Order: sequence, then C-alpha cells, then structure tokens
Amino acid sequence: LFVFPVIILETFFFSLATVRPKNEVEQKQLCAFGEYVAEILPKYIQQVQVTCFNELELLIHPDGIIPVLTFLRDHTNAQFKSLADLTAVDVPSRQFRFEIVYNLLSLRFNSRIRVKTYTDELTPVDSAVPVHKAANWYEREVWDMYGVFFANHPDLRRILTDYGFEGHPFRKDFPLSGYVEVRYDDEVKRVVAEPVELAQEFRKFDLNSPWEAFPAYRPAPEPLKIEAGAKKEDAK
Amino acid sequence: MRSPAPSAASSKGAASAAMAGALRKTTGLVGLAVAENPHERLRILYTKILGVLENIPKDAAYRKYTEQIVNERFDLVKKESDVQKLQDKLNCGQIEEVIVQAENELSLARKMIQWKPWEPLVEEPPSNQWRWPI
Amino acid sequence: MAVAGKGVVSAAVKPIFSRDLGEAKRRVRELYRAWYREVPNTVHLYQLDITVKQGRNKVREMFMKNAHVTDPRVIDMLVIKGKMELQETIHVWKQRTHVMRYFHETETPQPKDFLSKFYAGHNP
Repeated sequence: LFVFPVIILETFFFSLATVRPKNEVEQKQLCAFGEYVAEILPKYIQQVQVTCFNELELLIHPDGIIPVLTFLRDHTNAQFKSLADLTAVDVPSRQFRFEIVYNLLSLRFNSRIRVKTYTDELTPVDSAVPVHKAANWYEREVWDMYGVFFANHPDLRRILTDYGFEGHPFRKDFPLSGYVEVRYDDEVKRVVAEPVELAQEFRKFDLNSPWEAFPAYRPAPEPLKIEAGAKKEDAK
Repeated sequence: MRSPAPSAASSKGAASAAMAGALRKTTGLVGLAVAENPHERLRILYTKILGVLENIPKDAAYRKYTEQIVNERFDLVKKESDVQKLQDKLNCGQIEEVIVQAENELSLARKMIQWKPWEPLVEEPPSNQWRWPI
Repeated sequence: MAVAGKGVVSAAVKPIFSRDLGEAKRRVRELYRAWYREVPNTVHLYQLDITVKQGRNKVREMFMKNAHVTDPRVIDMLVIKGKMELQETIHVWKQRTHVMRYFHETETPQPKDFLSKFYAGHNP
C-alpha cells in the first residue's frame, strides 16, 4: 500500500525528459536586456553572453567596474540593487589569470545578472564598496584567497586565514597540503608552525578524472593536410 | 514586491480620491516615508534629469533610452492627478519608490557625463581571456 | 623589468601606488621605520622572550630577504602585506605564537649535503 505512490512518483519523474527544458521567452528577454546594456555602455563591455542555464553575463574591461555596477544599480530599467556574490576564478594559463565575478540581483524585476572582469596578480582592481556595501567582506575574501588587490577598499585585510599565514590558498599554484603544519610544542609552551613534511605517498595527488570532462567542447578534428614532404617524394 | 499597506490605503482612498494621499500613513517599507507632494517632487526630478541629459551627445544610447523612460513617466505624472491611479499606471512600485528611482537616475546621469560610456571600447581583451574551457 | 624605464612601466601597466622605483623605495623606508619603532612595544606587549635588538635584527632580515626585488608593483604589494602584518601586530590581533613564528625556533634545519640527507632517511 505504501509502495504504490512512490512508484507512481518515480515513473512520473523518469517519464519526463532528462533534458532541461529550454525557456525561450526568458532567453530572449535576457538577450534583449544584454543588447540594451551593451548599447549604452560600449566603452566598457567587451562581450555579452547568455549561458545555457539562462544566465546573462556581461564581460567587461576592469576600468569599467564602477561605471557598470553603478549603471546597473541606478538605471530605472535595471535596478540591480543587491550584490548577491562576488568571487574570483584563477586560470593560470591566461595573461590576466584572475576573473572577478559579480553576481547581482534586481528585486524589482526579479532577475539576475553576472558581471565578469579580469586582472592579474599585480594589477589593482577598483573596489566595489562605494557602489555596494556588501562587497566589503567579499573583497577581503578575494584578497585573502587569491591576492587580488582592491584599490580604495576601506578595510582590506585578511578574513579567513590565520595571522602570519603566507600565500593565497585558492591560487592554482598553491599546494594542496599547504606550506606549514602547526602543532603544540611542550618545550616552548605554545603552538608552533613548521614546514610541512609528508611521506612521499601522501605528497602526490592525482585528481584527473578517468572520464572526459567536457565532451561537448572537444576540439574539432583537424582537416587532413597533404604534407609538403609527401608531395616532394611523389614528384621524385 | 508590493507591501500590503498601500492596498489597504487604496481601498479606503477609493471612496474619495482626494483623500487618498492623506489616508496613507506609511509605505510599509523601512526608511521610506510617505511623500508629501509626489507630483511636485517628480516634476522637479524629471526636469532636472532632462536638463542633465542635455549635456550628453544626442546619439548616445543612454540619453536616448533615458529620455524615453523619463518622458513617458513625466507625461503620466502630468496627466494623472490621483496618486493611487498614477501608481498603477506607472506600474513600478509605490510612488515613493518611483521618486527614489528618479533620484537614482539623476545621480547616475550626472556621473555618466564624467564617465562618457558612449565612447568606443577602451581596450580589447587578450584573445584567450573569455574562452572557456581552456 | 622596472629598471628598464618608468615611462614604459607606467604606460603599459597600472601602478598600485608608486609610479617609479624611488617612490616605492620611500614607502619601504617608511614601513621599515614603523616596524623599527614598533618592536620594543611588541616585545613588551606580547611578553616575548627576546631582546629588542633581536627583534630589530629579525625585522631587518625580513626586509633584506626581498632586497633583490626591483619592480615597483611587486615592492608595493610587499609593502601592502607588510603594513597589514604591522597592523595585526600593533592591534594585538596576533598572539605570541604568530609573532614567534618569524624566529623558527623549533624547526630542525633541513639536511643539506648528501650524507646527512641519507642519514635523515628521506629525500625531499
């Protein structure tokens, strides 16, 4: 008696397509708004895109952080008054290795937008605190974890790591085991930090998945080319 | 979005349109007081915005769109004398919120003159900057 | 890189604070002075088992460790981090353990030559 409804539910869920349904209306709205913003701020916006999950992304030049965020906050048709999140992404192979990501929410129009910009280890980024008070601690976190310096931040200091901690743990070149380990030393009667010492078998981490990570983004097979050397041989 | 307070006020105010403003005691939103004379306030703000927009080049998209929004709202404000009906026609929250929006737009327009965002792109990104996955 | 010419640097990259090496060096000296003055206070506040002289020598050593840096942006970044450390020390946000970490008292020195590495029994 109890099993029956469960089965019904299960079959109901499984009978639905496992593919995420496309919301074309929403996508069109987002595209239109993206074009609208890009038309108004051509000086700063490098690219506008809508992701497969219907999220609008503005990719901007780092000079435009304050103007773009202020525009999105104060313009009557945008009103993105709430900064939901601010974080960074580290991609070491790029010239500007850090992406700074701002997630904004417009309560008035019930919509979200993502603003992305970029920087490297030594280029300061304008702090968003004058525009959104919420950016304060997020920027401290990004400073702490990635070492991105925010210019004109009112109170930029560490927020998560221990005092005296060296390095920025979310950088891709920061070792998973860290640089120091702490223990209580009975001789000096305090906690001491020493360079981490791991046996060889614990020092290597193989994080590669045996499966392909992005099958949809497989590089296109190169078109067959006739090599110059082969031709020459034929000619001979 | 809309708080219950104004709708309660509107049911009372429906009896006499002129009393609608007087009966509303609160917007129901923290830190947002009931506007004494919203029409006058909006008129001043919209005139100011349009004045500031004069300093922006005519072909700038920001000026074009903002003038469109402001003129649309300004016309409604001129035509409709009843606050409750004006609120419904503007369809962007209570009248006090509309005033705040106009204030924000005014400060934005002033900043926009300094930033000049209608100019061409400052710098192209490096070629692989926005490519993902790598 | 920075020595190549300040014109090149300021045109190509955004400076953090200092436009040239001289300005960066000035900031370093300011920071050094601040640390130098703070050391007696720190030793007293944290009740450290070191002399003021030892503390100042350590400060000097920490500064000299980065003496080879010539890029004003890198110097600025190091000064920023140094200032934050100083702030943490002045406000006693740190504890004795954090201050004493600079002195590496309990660490056993890593074996350098082949034979002592062999005796230590692992090859880092």
